[in-house]
Amino acid sequence: MPHKLSQSSTSSTKTGKTASQKRTTLRLEPSTANTKRINPMTAFVNASAPRTTSSSSSKSKGKGKEVVKALSPVVMNQEINQQESYQLWADLYEPKSEAELAVHVRKVDDVRNWLREAFEGGPSGKLRKYRRLLVLTGPTGTAKSSTIRVLSNEMGFEILDWKSPAGDAFANAELDSISSDSWVSDETTFTKFRLFLERASRCQNVFKTTSTPSSSSSPSSSSSKNPNLAPQRRIILLEDLPNILHASIRSQFHDVIRSLVENADPDPVPIIIIISDSGMRGEAGDERLASGAWGRELDGAVDIRNVLPKDVLHGPYAREIKFNPIAPTLLKKALQALLKRHFASSSRKSPITGQMLDTVVNSANGDIRSAIMALQFACIRHGSGRKSKGADSSQVLVESITRREQSLALFHLMGKVLYNKRKGDPPPPSASAKDIARDQELDKTLRDPPALPPYLSEHDRKASRVDVNTIYADSPIDSSLFSLYLHHNYTQFCGDVDECDGVAEWLSWADSSGGEAWYQINPYQFHLLALGTLHSLPTPVPRLSQRVCKPVFFENLSKEKKGWEGVRDVRSWIIDQNSSGSDDGGWNISTWTPTAIATELGGVFRARDVAINQSLGLSTSRRMPSISSIPSTHQTFSHLKFVYPKSDNRRSLGGQALDEEDADALSSDGAMIEEQQEMGMWQDGISNNGGIGDPERRVNVADAGGWLESDDIESF
Amino acid sequence: MSLWVDQYRPRSLEELHYHHELSNRLRSLASSGDFPHMLFYGPSGAGKKTRITCTLKKLFGPGVEKLKIDQRIFLSPSKRKLEVNIVQSNFHIEITPSEAGNYDRVVIQELLKEIAQTQQVDLNAKQRFKVVIINEADSLSRDAQAALRRTMEKYMSNMRIILCANSTSRLIAPIKSRCLLMRVAAPNAEDMQTVMQHVSKRVGFDLPPDVALKIIEDSGGNLRKAILCLEALKMQSPDLSGALTIAKPDWETYCHKVADLIISEQSPARVMEVRQKFYELLSHCIPPATILKTVADRVVERVDDAIKADVMHWAAIYEVRMRIGNKKIYHLEAWVVKVMSLYKHFFYGMDLTEFD
Repeated sequence: MPHKLSQSSTSSTKTGKTASQKRTTLRLEPSTANTKRINPMTAFVNASAPRTTSSSSSKSKGKGKEVVKALSPVVMNQEINQQESYQLWADLYEPKSEAELAVHVRKVDDVRNWLREAFEGGPSGKLRKYRRLLVLTGPTGTAKSSTIRVLSNEMGFEILDWKSPAGDAFANAELDSISSDSWVSDETTFTKFRLFLERASRCQNVFKTTSTPSSSSSPSSSSSKNPNLAPQRRIILLEDLPNILHASIRSQFHDVIRSLVENADPDPVPIIIIISDSGMRGEAGDERLASGAWGRELDGAVDIRNVLPKDVLHGPYAREIKFNPIAPTLLKKALQALLKRHFASSSRKSPITGQMLDTVVNSANGDIRSAIMALQFACIRHGSGRKSKGADSSQVLVESITRREQSLALFHLMGKVLYNKRKGDPPPPSASAKDIARDQELDKTLRDPPALPPYLSEHDRKASRVDVNTIYADSPIDSSLFSLYLHHNYTQFCGDVDECDGVAEWLSWADSSGGEAWYQINPYQFHLLALGTLHSLPTPVPRLSQRVCKPVFFENLSKEKKGWEGVRDVRSWIIDQNSSGSDDGGWNISTWTPTAIATELGGVFRARDVAINQSLGLSTSRRMPSISSIPSTHQTFSHLKFVYPKSDNRRSLGGQALDEEDADALSSDGAMIEEQQEMGMWQDGISNNGGIGDPERRVNVADAGGWLESDDIESF
Repeated sequence: MSLWVDQYRPRSLEELHYHHELSNRLRSLASSGDFPHMLFYGPSGAGKKTRITCTLKKLFGPGVEKLKIDQRIFLSPSKRKLEVNIVQSNFHIEITPSEAGNYDRVVIQELLKEIAQTQQVDLNAKQRFKVVIINEADSLSRDAQAALRRTMEKYMSNMRIILCANSTSRLIAPIKSRCLLMRVAAPNAEDMQTVMQHVSKRVGFDLPPDVALKIIEDSGGNLRKAILCLEALKMQSPDLSGALTIAKPDWETYCHKVADLIISEQSPARVMEVRQKFYELLSHCIPPATILKTVADRVVERVDDAIKADVMHWAAIYEVRMRIGNKKIYHLEAWVVKVMSLYKHFFYGMDLTEFD
């Protein structure tokens, strides 16, 4: 270890020396005024340089000389190649061809095919009508926009990009006040947006009628046609959406999109919307859900379900392509290529070691933009930080640069909690030597809790290797979803019922702690659940190849919803009966509340079905409507077959298993959260929001159990 | 087509078959001209609603049977539209607050205000007031109950409220104190026998007393359930010889089997299976409290006396939690696990403390 350290320290000082000759640091100076526009990002680069030196110098306290030395070159080296530093690498080295894109080839193909169909109509030529709206979704920094730009180069179409005018308006505020009759200021932002869309979808660009495919490789088809006659291909790119969180603007936006998408333009301009997923997590949503009162109106996240109206989203005109976080291998390759390009121009050596690169790649979570930013920042810092002490400190440096909220994959989160590792646990057979070493390292830092008095000895546990605060900070899901995951999976990890009892008790307690209203909800739910589970589970948890599954809670919830729809159908049928035939008093409507229908009428309805089937010679499919006009949806709640569990040792858990590559756990959770919200909405209006399902649908619920076998009710 | 329960329901206080004392009291109250707010409570299927309608008829005459159903739209504070079906006659109006979900306060307030502020215009009406019947009053939210309490005093001059609830324990004290409490107890076996014989006579068939007894035993004092069961049984086996299970709602049988599952094995895997069953029940719109009660009843039947009390004790605790909490399945399951643990320890004849 020590010799390794010294070795790398010399190498780093060497790089430090070389870097000091061509320093890339900058100082705030009047020259910034020369730049046309102050970009907040580059401004930050400017300002950060002196600050970084001071911060790094403060690290080496007590070495006053060093500080002076460290500062002096900054003052001296003022003439630097500013151009390079002003631009962010992410902009500077934006990919120009598909080869440079770090996106999976198939994803690019998807987008390209869509665009081709949008321009040419696919093989049949008819698809064009339906390729109106493409939505690219995915986490930030997954090259969504870059893919479009690259394809624009390659296929030769023009991008009409909407830029929100808000910034300009402020920038021109002084101008406007002078020339007060400026008509621009009269329009609201949204009007501008709508005008932009209308003009962009109808009008040709006056200045660029000669359609010259800008890329070197001419696009496949347009060369055959006469490029001068064919109209310039265009797409409308919406990245900077109007404020759709505002309800009225959202509905206006929806109207505009709908009308654009649905009008029968023979020569439509495809629209591409880029939506970056923002992580949906927060106790606030949880609380709102609990209140059940505030639905989606207050929902603060921009995602595809908000941006597009439902009918368009599920309609034939729209298509969504999801971008995944960039794979580490692709990301690393791209970063290496970038570094090579950057340092090829200037004869300097790259200060980024392979290890640093790995750290950057790992911490980026597939966000290439942040990775590039971190690299650039690392290079700047590395240049100024002279006294960095070898690989160790450069590692620290990179880590401090790349520090961002690291999200813990859902799979790992559940594993951490459910495997309940404690100090001194024997390592699992599959563990590598590295893992074991790490665990031992960790164990050294753990202090044993003080011994409990004898009467509490049943609660004695070793120190846990799981730090609940950390997993709470990194958890990708909120406490409600966390509890659902725990609930669905804990039984596999328990050896016997007593351990189950502990976990179940905690789940129940945490769910009911606090009060009935959302603002009374327990803010410590997550901690309580995690700690409670850790306390109750056996240590060590026996490894029986458990599989963590997604909770089936929401599926059942939607089934329940369907059931209530059935109840509603029956109820409105009863009401109809009453208003039509008033011979013998008919039904006593007020007695048949929804709950009464669900719990008490089931037997009669089923009996009636059976009786009618018997009279019809057991033909289930045809029933005479004159005899029974009970809506068949009653089966959603009245028919319930009991299925005995198979005495199989491999018992079905139900639910989809999670795995390590569950990268889009968050997005699927987004769907869950939406369902959750729907649940909230639905709870407050069980009977009033319509949406009565297909009355013909006969849900044979028993089938849904998964293990349908011999189902003789009387056999027990 | 209507059910026997509705078709042969007594329509006047004189026709009622049991609780004659109560009927007499109601009769004299209705004719006294000083009619209070009332709260009818008792187990389901005991005849609360029947008595309320009979009293109304006594109060207002046959006009009260001319019902119409209105669909009213209310606006929630967040501008959501709520559609609520309201049954009303010229003299009274009925609301089931559970239809309005979380917004029952809004609905109740709006309705009551509207009724209270309109005078009875029919000069021939026997009473100057209108009656508001609130079904399932114990499912009213706290807010709604608080709102009700003020209205009850304020609009006494032209409105009376009749609440109908299973138990008074979920009503706030101020409401209870403003009402005349009327307890409608479940009928005993003889009463039920008479009623069922009466129904079968009206329908036109002969009901063997032993079949009736079997149904009565099974229904646990719930007359409505008994008559529904009788009708379903008659429908499927006209000679009434079939097993009762074919006439009962599926979920009851289902709950009993879940209880059997709990008792037959106590293991984490079994917990998983029972959970699956609970999910099924819940998705068939069976209220979680009902599930818990039915399963617990059955479990108590089958376990040893020593742990019967504990089983019910925990059922009560988890029922309360269920009411406060959000995800019902947790509490159902927590109870199951608790029972399994209790049963197991009892079965092996050892206590938790012996593990130490």
